[in-house]
Amino acid sequence: MKRTVTAILLVLFVAGMVFASGEPEGEGSDSLRVMWWGSQNRHERTIETLELYEANNDGLEVTYEFAGWTDYWTKLTTMAAGRNLPDVIQQDYAYLTEWQSRGLIQPLDPFVDSGLFDFSDVADANLAGGRIDGQLYGVNLGVNSQCMVLDVARFEEAGVPLPDDDWTWSEFEEIVLKLHEETGVFGFGAGLLGEQLWKSLYLADGSWAFNDDGTALGYEDDSVFIEYIEMVLRLQEAGAIPHISREASDYANGDNLEMQPIIPGDAAMASMWSNQLTAMWTAAGGPEERDFVMVMLPRLEQGRPGHYIKPSMFFAISRDAQNPDEAARFIDFVTNDLGANQILLAERGVPIADAVRDDLTTRVGRPQEVVFEFMSRVGADSSPIPAPDPVGYTDLIQNVYFPVVRDGVRFGEYTPSEATEILRERAAEILGAAN
Amino acid sequence: MDRRLLENRRRAIAGYLFISPWLIGFLTLTLLPILGVVYLSFTKYDIFTAPQWIGLGNFVRMFTGDPRYWKSVGATFYFAIVSVPLKLFFALMVAMILNAPHRGLDFYRAVYYTPSILGTSVAVAVMWREIFGFDGLINALLANIGIRSEMAWLGDPRTAVWTLILLVIWQFGSPMLIFLAGLKQIPDELYESAHIDGARGVRKFFWITLPLLSPVIFFNLVMQIIFGLTVFTQPFIITQGGPLDTTNFYALYLYRRAFETFQMGYGAAMALVLLLVVAFFTGIVFKSSSLWVFYESKEGKA
Amino acid sequence: MSSSVLSMRTRRRFREVVFHVLVFSFGVVMLYPLLWLAGSSFKPSTEIWTTVSNIVPRTFTVAHYINGWRGFGGVSFATFYRNSFLYAGLGTLASVATSAFVAFGFARVRFPGRNIWFGCMLATLMLPVQIQIIPQYILFTQLRWVNTFWPLILPRALGQAGQAFFIFMIVQFIRGIPIELDEAASIDGLGRFGIFNRIVMPLVKPALVTSGIFSFYWTWADFLTPLIYLNDPRLYTVSVALRAFADPSGQTDWGAIFAMSFLSLVPVLIVFVIFQKQIVEGISTSGLKG
Repeated sequence: MKRTVTAILLVLFVAGMVFASGEPEGEGSDSLRVMWWGSQNRHERTIETLELYEANNDGLEVTYEFAGWTDYWTKLTTMAAGRNLPDVIQQDYAYLTEWQSRGLIQPLDPFVDSGLFDFSDVADANLAGGRIDGQLYGVNLGVNSQCMVLDVARFEEAGVPLPDDDWTWSEFEEIVLKLHEETGVFGFGAGLLGEQLWKSLYLADGSWAFNDDGTALGYEDDSVFIEYIEMVLRLQEAGAIPHISREASDYANGDNLEMQPIIPGDAAMASMWSNQLTAMWTAAGGPEERDFVMVMLPRLEQGRPGHYIKPSMFFAISRDAQNPDEAARFIDFVTNDLGANQILLAERGVPIADAVRDDLTTRVGRPQEVVFEFMSRVGADSSPIPAPDPVGYTDLIQNVYFPVVRDGVRFGEYTPSEATEILRERAAEILGAAN
Repeated sequence: MDRRLLENRRRAIAGYLFISPWLIGFLTLTLLPILGVVYLSFTKYDIFTAPQWIGLGNFVRMFTGDPRYWKSVGATFYFAIVSVPLKLFFALMVAMILNAPHRGLDFYRAVYYTPSILGTSVAVAVMWREIFGFDGLINALLANIGIRSEMAWLGDPRTAVWTLILLVIWQFGSPMLIFLAGLKQIPDELYESAHIDGARGVRKFFWITLPLLSPVIFFNLVMQIIFGLTVFTQPFIITQGGPLDTTNFYALYLYRRAFETFQMGYGAAMALVLLLVVAFFTGIVFKSSSLWVFYESKEGKA
Repeated sequence: MSSSVLSMRTRRRFREVVFHVLVFSFGVVMLYPLLWLAGSSFKPSTEIWTTVSNIVPRTFTVAHYINGWRGFGGVSFATFYRNSFLYAGLGTLASVATSAFVAFGFARVRFPGRNIWFGCMLATLMLPVQIQIIPQYILFTQLRWVNTFWPLILPRALGQAGQAFFIFMIVQFIRGIPIELDEAASIDGLGRFGIFNRIVMPLVKPALVTSGIFSFYWTWADFLTPLIYLNDPRLYTVSVALRAFADPSGQTDWGAIFAMSFLSLVPVLIVFVIFQKQIVEGISTSGLKG
């Protein structure tokens, strides 16, 4: 008897997991549910925008949820399992394919066709990052790109002229060494073997980290990367960049913006995403006390720019959306409405619509001005955006790239060629199985 | 004969009545999710799409095809074996000290408990870097006494696990408080009569305190073994498993597999193995308890 | 004669001084992080990351408290505190009452299946909670409990969600009480519930208070359950709200995090200071004897 009951419950439960059909929360057709990650500044601005939108639309009930980065993904993942996703969710470039391939976000082209989205004011390059196999899945909330941030005072102190956008990695190495010799601080801060720089390296080389099917690495020649790693090791050896153990302890592997050594003035350069500059500048003391300049990433000799215009983040419409049309209307509002963007104030990155961008240029502060100006330079001289990271990407980075390449090589566990070989093999294995 | 039967039945009813709140909760709220985990451990489940049955696949991969798994097992045992006895030792010593009659003990007890309530705060992560970083407090103190240290304690594979061991030892507040409550339950009369019999400090400790405290020591030991082997929060917020996976403890690795790389089936299989291993060690402690745990009441006869 | 009294007094005073010096200096080590947290919460944003190792701020500001307390989009920390008190208060009461009741069953009544159930109970502590989130969420969604306080309170009231810790602890304390007391009470005509209520409970008061202190803190600090089950920001707890300041890839409001973290420790400390007295006053005087 007891066993029967247990068996029945188990079956019901497993059925629940397979068909998981929790009661979704939306309260019918006149509601909109939005969820995003961020910190206080973004929460405040987004909530205010939502309130404006609600006020503009009689009878619409807007609900929202927000969290910090880590919690956001835990919660969103759990909601997906319970089939209880909000209508509009914020998405990240690194996760877009994972979510799209499992049917968790809806294709957006139908909404473009039906006129709910008006992208007439948006350059196509600014939308490209949200496309997977030709279909649009996420609307870019701000254009973004990698950059090198230079501490002007340190360059002056060392008597090193500021480099141009087309500088090379070998010039970079010289500059780092020179800065270190002259000033005593690190020439460059944390994260020189970050996964993003690896990917950019191959973009600059004319290929990409992954092949078109997303089943393996996209390049044949490991030597480009090996040479790069050897440069990193030389700099580490010279003490011109932090030792990896110090990077892990004092600078949180460069993962935490506020812990970048450029902030207290312990390093003269840092690499980051352009939309991070404002937060970094604030933490460093603000424009009154410090002066920073953005330049593009160094190139390979005769290489292309390793830059592409990356969406900082997306709004996407979830599979469980109760009211997709309303969701689309809201995303369009965020994209094109001047009033909304005067509230949002480019906090998520430089807006994609031309009119909005022009309108904001005069309204933003000094750090953001620098970012706007930098992005227009990148826009004129960048590579087309590669396909979004393949399914299994997170697995590869977390379980292979970080332990073997980023940490393993710099701690001396692997030689550069061993590490790149393991990366190649495991990439084929993990990505091959996933795609 | 009948009376005994009747008494047995009454006792059974009473027993189940007393544990019924827990039993109902267990059967309705906990058992299903646990059975779900058991089921998932035999599947490939990426959270978003239906689980696919793959039999023992996860277990085979775990034991034979995942070197990080074994590294994580090793790190976890190392951490637990070192930290559990030390933490219990400190907790007991401090509880004894704070149980003696002195002025200002209320204040000290609060002070010594504080680290434990900072335990899960994000601020702790920042602070620990400040203490054990290259530019941290420890190196500054060493410099003061003339030792130039080039160590980034928290980021060095040789020392990182020790910074976490220190952290959990430093947070000895909860076993300390339980010891304190246990010490308070020992009747003063016993100490007094022992005193008359000529027993002093150390002897009193071994004759009276230890035996009478043994049920509580047993409890703390079991719980700390469980906590030690399933430790998650501290490595999660401070080291994220690094450097070189030296703090990639079992529960953390499991979580990252399950949530960050969407391998919930694999994570469930890991969790199941963890459950069995922890149960095994707890079982040993339970078996051994008849040798060293002293109960005032052998069995509930009522 | 008077000199020996004096020297005894001096010696005692000397020992007292040594005790305080030792305990206090070790206490500073214990307290250092809290002081650091407090200090950092009063530094201006531009100073937090440029003078990390200083405890005392160069410029003193309460801006983070004002700004942090404001919360998000009109929902301030007043709301989050109210929710946390509700959650931690109810959770603690329910948890201690249930744990004591269940523990008495396990410790004092010999019934068939007892060891098996006790084993099951301990086993629930050995399975990491993280892995149970998804199955549990699916179950609770079907019970339509999402965005209510039920998933936060009910499992605690029914001895789940880590409450096995308290049940086991109280069991151990009850087993430290001589069984003769129960027998005597039984002869006096007290039933099992009477023994539980009138004999055993008063004797395990230190354990109950200890459970209460822990339960309050654990519930207060728990962010995973509220994070997963509460959607409406007006239902967020302090622990969840605190984490909504952090976006490592973008901007993290460390000042607000430090200020609100520090503030969030206050209730926990107050609960501790008030109730730890109950532990140490204890029951030594109530004539318990083996």
